[in-house]
Amino acid sequence: MIEIQNVTKAYRTDTIETIALHNMNLSVPSGEFLSIMGPSGCGKSTLLNIMGLIDEPTEGTVSLAGKPITGYNGKQIARFRNEQLGFIFQSFHLINDLSVVDNVELPLLYRKVGGKERRRLALEALAHVGLSNRATHFPNQLSGGQKQRVAIARAIVGRPNIILADEPTGNLDSHMGDEIMDILLKLNAELGTTIVMVTHDERMAKKTHRLVRLSDGERVS
Amino acid sequence: MFKNYLLLSLKVLKRKPFYTFISLFGISFTLMILMLLTSLFDATLGDNQPLTHRDRLVIVPMLERTRTETDTIMKIDTLATSYDTTYTYEDDIVSTSNGPMSYKFVTENLTKLEEAEHYAFWNDGYHQDGYLDGRKFSFGAYYVNAGYWDVFDFKFLHGSRLNEQDDEGANKVVVITDKAAKTYFGEATASVIGQEMQLGAETFRVRGIVARPLSDSPMFAGDVFFPITRVDQREIDSDDVSGGFGAAFLTSTSGRREALKNELTFLGDNYDMSGVEFYDKMRLFNATFYEGYARGILQEEDGSKALRLLFIPVVLLILLFVALPLLNLVNLNISRVYERKAEIGVRKAFGANGSDILYQFIFENLVLTFIGGVIGVLLAIALISYVNTNDLLGITRLSYSYEVFFYFLVVIVLFGFLSGILPAYRMSRTNVADSLR
Ligand SMILES: Nc1ncnc2c1ncn2[C@@H]1O[C@H](COP(=O)(O)OP(=O)(O)OP(=O)(O)O)[C@@H](O)[C@H]1O
Ligand SMILES: [Mg+2]
Repeated sequence: MIEIQNVTKAYRTDTIETIALHNMNLSVPSGEFLSIMGPSGCGKSTLLNIMGLIDEPTEGTVSLAGKPITGYNGKQIARFRNEQLGFIFQSFHLINDLSVVDNVELPLLYRKVGGKERRRLALEALAHVGLSNRATHFPNQLSGGQKQRVAIARAIVGRPNIILADEPTGNLDSHMGDEIMDILLKLNAELGTTIVMVTHDERMAKKTHRLVRLSDGERVS
Repeated sequence: MFKNYLLLSLKVLKRKPFYTFISLFGISFTLMILMLLTSLFDATLGDNQPLTHRDRLVIVPMLERTRTETDTIMKIDTLATSYDTTYTYEDDIVSTSNGPMSYKFVTENLTKLEEAEHYAFWNDGYHQDGYLDGRKFSFGAYYVNAGYWDVFDFKFLHGSRLNEQDDEGANKVVVITDKAAKTYFGEATASVIGQEMQLGAETFRVRGIVARPLSDSPMFAGDVFFPITRVDQREIDSDDVSGGFGAAFLTSTSGRREALKNELTFLGDNYDMSGVEFYDKMRLFNATFYEGYARGILQEEDGSKALRLLFIPVVLLILLFVALPLLNLVNLNISRVYERKAEIGVRKAFGANGSDILYQFIFENLVLTFIGGVIGVLLAIALISYVNTNDLLGITRLSYSYEVFFYFLVVIVLFGFLSGILPAYRMSRTNVADSLR
């Protein structure tokens, strides 16, 4: 379960201050598939990043499994991310210098997992997204949908409890988008993985358990 | 974990062949140039035989004779030797002549110096042809006294040096370089010692074989060394003060060099010129080894001034030469790390902590600079041996010093390490969300 309480995020530049999130409260119980919608610039990514511990709130607390993470040091937070969280980005963010299977192995590199075991788990995750035959390819040899499936394999290879997806279908056509959505739905249904997904697509949002709408840094539903 | 870092580095480098090539090339090239420079420096100025005692050495490269006439009528110089120059100075006509000294001058005046422990005299003005089985070889001939072998500690590969008895008896013996031995006998082994060599019209017995010196100093650039008394009889009989001989001395300690130099200057300034034709004044040039070296390069007669003139720019130039490629390496490494901002963000999002990122980049830089360094060392070795076997620098040959190679490798890897650590440290601390935006 992730819970954020009274979270405010302000970006300060020399001249202006942008309030990206204002006094936000949100709680995502384990096993839920939650979607977040809202106009561009309303703070969706900011919210997701704060929940994913890759950005810090200006005010307020983030709790993971009931424990507030304030007071944890950088190493412990990195550990949390490694073991509890998996990220999927709109622009995939694969490492182009590494092969598909090496990309998928990435989260396991920062755990005590032997090389053979790493490879086995990565291939298993690739099988799960239907890309076994592309393991030795490099990211720039793949289509957008395939890239996103590799990104999903990377997000699930470490068996995280929570997956955070920022517009995972935003760069894909509707057919490929549906494929990605199906994988996520299956993941949620079969493994009980908690998923928080930002989307612009009402159709996708309808398939999830709950929808939260943001506007100007505040929840409107 | 280190194995992972290493594998990862190799993977990344393999995927970026162009970048890898450029950085490797830069590192290797820098290293190679640096090593060539040091070995050139070492060959000419280093502590090599036959100049192990360089810090006690005083050289008399030449003497200068002048004639000053307070005469307003231009004189036509009838002495047409190549060194002579005549020019008017205010109302005086000054004629000067520079050059090496005669046999009589050096043996009568330069063998009783208070501060000199050893005396070396040599004549390098001749070539001797060697004959064997109808073939002919040309050798640079040096006629040297016994003390020459004390002043210049040649490295004897086989046999021994020439001595006083050889000078007194004008014995028909020679010391030859390993190169001359190979040219004439086809080998430079102990079996050559005692064999005969047909040189000019006479036959000489080989007494010793020396390793050819690394540098091309005119003090010892010969192939075949004869006893001094074997030189052309006219050189020995000449009553002139100028002739074909150079001289060098060893003092007991390096601190005594100034005293010897003063002694030589005094000797020249007070020389009785009544026996010398035409000229009325003498100057005996003298220099320590480094002064002599700087003098030779700058054509500046005052040795210590030449040394100052040469030293500062050379040091600056070398510093610049070393600094530029190293700065370039640092720059390359910095931009390389920044280029991979997104990758760092992704790694951190999936659980890498700051030190994981730090180690990864330091490791990559180390691997890269190490490979580049090794290539550089190999290139330098190949180039040095190419230069040496083909005599591209004349008689000067570059020295190999594996120790120096090793230190260079350490320095370059250290730079790889240092140049990676700062950008990697900064990147390892950036906000993940920012690097993924
Ligand atoms: N690093 C930053 N510095 C300054 N302002 C920022 C920064 N990051 C985000 N913002 C601002 O914060 C607000 C929320 O940004 P955010 O990226 O969360 O929007 P979003 O809802 O994800 O929009 P989109 O649908 O276009 O992705 C925007 O007004 C944006 O300009
Ligand atoms: Mg966004």
